[in-house]
Amino acid sequence: MSLANSIRKEFTTLSLVLIPVGMVLNIVVGQLASTLKLPIFLDSIGTMLVALLVGPWAGALTGFLGNLIWGLITDPVAAPFALVALVIGLVTGLLARVGFFRQWWQAGVSGVIVTLALAPVAILIRTYLFGGVTGSGADFLTAYLLQVGQDLFGAVVVTVITSNLADKVVTALLAWGLVKYLPQRFTARFPGAERVIG
Amino acid sequence: MDSGLPTLYRPGDSWLHRRHPLTKLAYAASLAVAGFAAPWPAAAWFLLGALTLPLAAWARLARPLGRALLWSLAPLAAALLIIHGLFNPANHTILASWGELTLGQEGLIYALATLGRLAGALGASLLCLYTTPPGDLMTALQQRGLPAGLAYVLISTLQLLPLMRRRAQAILAAQQARGLRLEGNLLIRARALLPAVIPLVVGALLDVEERALALESRGFSRPGPRTSLQAVPDTALDRSLRWALAAGALVTLVWRWWP
Amino acid sequence: MIELEALSFTYIGGNRPALQAVSLSVAAGEFVVVLGANGAGKTSLCHALTGYIPHFYRGQLTGQARLDGRNTQSLSLAEIVEVAGQVFQNPANQISGVRLTVSEEVAFGLENLAVPAAAMPARIKAALALTGLSALADRSPYALSGGEQQRLALASVLVMQPRLLVLDEPTSMLDPQGARDILLAVAALRQTGLTVVLAEHRLELAAALASRVIVLADGRIVRDGAPQEVLADPALEDYGLIPLRYTQAARLAQARGLWPAQAPMPVTLESAAAGFRRVLRGAA
Repeated sequence: MSLANSIRKEFTTLSLVLIPVGMVLNIVVGQLASTLKLPIFLDSIGTMLVALLVGPWAGALTGFLGNLIWGLITDPVAAPFALVALVIGLVTGLLARVGFFRQWWQAGVSGVIVTLALAPVAILIRTYLFGGVTGSGADFLTAYLLQVGQDLFGAVVVTVITSNLADKVVTALLAWGLVKYLPQRFTARFPGAERVIG
Repeated sequence: MDSGLPTLYRPGDSWLHRRHPLTKLAYAASLAVAGFAAPWPAAAWFLLGALTLPLAAWARLARPLGRALLWSLAPLAAALLIIHGLFNPANHTILASWGELTLGQEGLIYALATLGRLAGALGASLLCLYTTPPGDLMTALQQRGLPAGLAYVLISTLQLLPLMRRRAQAILAAQQARGLRLEGNLLIRARALLPAVIPLVVGALLDVEERALALESRGFSRPGPRTSLQAVPDTALDRSLRWALAAGALVTLVWRWWP
Repeated sequence: MIELEALSFTYIGGNRPALQAVSLSVAAGEFVVVLGANGAGKTSLCHALTGYIPHFYRGQLTGQARLDGRNTQSLSLAEIVEVAGQVFQNPANQISGVRLTVSEEVAFGLENLAVPAAAMPARIKAALALTGLSALADRSPYALSGGEQQRLALASVLVMQPRLLVLDEPTSMLDPQGARDILLAVAALRQTGLTVVLAEHRLELAAALASRVIVLADGRIVRDGAPQEVLADPALEDYGLIPLRYTQAARLAQARGLWPAQAPMPVTLESAAAGFRRVLRGAA
């Protein structure tokens, strides 16, 4: 199957309706996590759900457009990180496709792999576009590392990895749990779900 | 405005409202490019103050735009100013000091320049969204070849967001009424997460099927070109504005990266 | 208009068939009410008529469905919507979410079918008038009540000028007023010669509107006939349907020898009233 074909196959009417839901879940659940003052963002939950239910391309589009739209209407910091969100959706979908999202521990390890994959992109954007800060709580860590003598790049590397690791692992576990929890009658309609449930 | 209208669009009949959606999109894009590419750190602030804000005032949108910018940039501004003003390793020129803390000029300028770029880009894109009905923007993009599926994804996200927020609030209120606690130590707060997230996610996902069916019943998956109820008028003025904006962005790019 | 031939369907992941050897032929202009308990197969039957089975729902299909003589399996969904339109249960889920006013929302289907812009306003106006929404044309779809949203869904399908209209429990999520309004709008369609299939679980509606009533149980057609004979059938209770109050009352009266043994059971309030008037007059 050609690449173009595998991409086209993911974008049925059903997944086109699902993708905006995923984007909005990123925003709303992310805000819920910050309302509850949790130390994680949970703002990739929708991206990961779409990636698991449909596939890597739909996941990538959900992450990318979701951040872009959020950046346009509320938080300009989010817009460039659209590339990071794209990587999250793509890698999650690929991991599910090769069958590495069947067991809970695989979901957890997948969260670690997603973190490692997004890190280079996130570090570059954070350092060179935003001068190392994003206006979130993680900035305190960057400030501390700068204070103790780290250079900006090193401080950002540590900040990005530590702030994402727990978040991506928890989000991956939550997304996996939700796909398992959903009625099979529903998940059976999506092309990716059988590789998670099966 | 209709109370049920969940978009950023603010109806009006200003000069800006009457511009073609792609002209306003070109404005947002070229200001973002110019702000980031210009080698002069205050360029983005200048574009915001000299173009975006006066245009907003002309369309009677200066107040909401200013408020939106302040609200969304305040945390980032604080973080940038503190981290770079106080801790940037490049700081050599000391402007002020309080005990151990010193405010450096290099870091301060860097922080203000970064902030200006973001404020300039956000201001221009918000002004574009405030004065453009989303449907018109999509119609214009579709007439230029944007696939119908992608147009659907973009627009429905904007309309879905307020609906889903309302749903999240309703779920939280209902769970709190059943004794769910949102305050307390981390464990208590973390435990509140699942009872809020599961109904929200499951409810939203289960609606997907019927919404997809309803779209199908309207011919959504039909291949081929679409027509549009409302024509989006394009004028000679709009076309020249778009060329001018594109040229301006190109000039800053060349100016910045010409060897 | 519709021909189903021994149609059976099992959803992917389903453990039993949702439709079992359903054969059905509906002529143009009929108004068919499909009755059945929850899970009896009403929704699946609707989806088979409009091609969502098998185009949207994957599963195992045997037999065939023909619309206007053409097999739905060989048509695409986009081709089917020009012949058959469907209204679903939840009004909010049928708003496209990509148009800002009621008239733009109604136009969405026409735009997808590439109807020339010049032809749209007249068709939109007619659809809004048929559904009593003319006064709300410029409102946001999200600002409407549930009943109004459901009439909007109806208008959005009618504007595409289908010859078959399928409604799957369109009143199940509405208050009584909203339900009444939508059914009045549907009843008015009878005059236009449109073929209508309405899935319901309440018998009153069937009695008032139908030219023909079908009862489904476990994915099979167990009754098919004129409202008069089907609705008065005491076996309906075995299929999980609640018989009409006045039919039950008449049956009770008959058991006690008050209602003439040969007289038919009433299925409308009017015939029940007339019948009991006779019973009371006889008693006096």
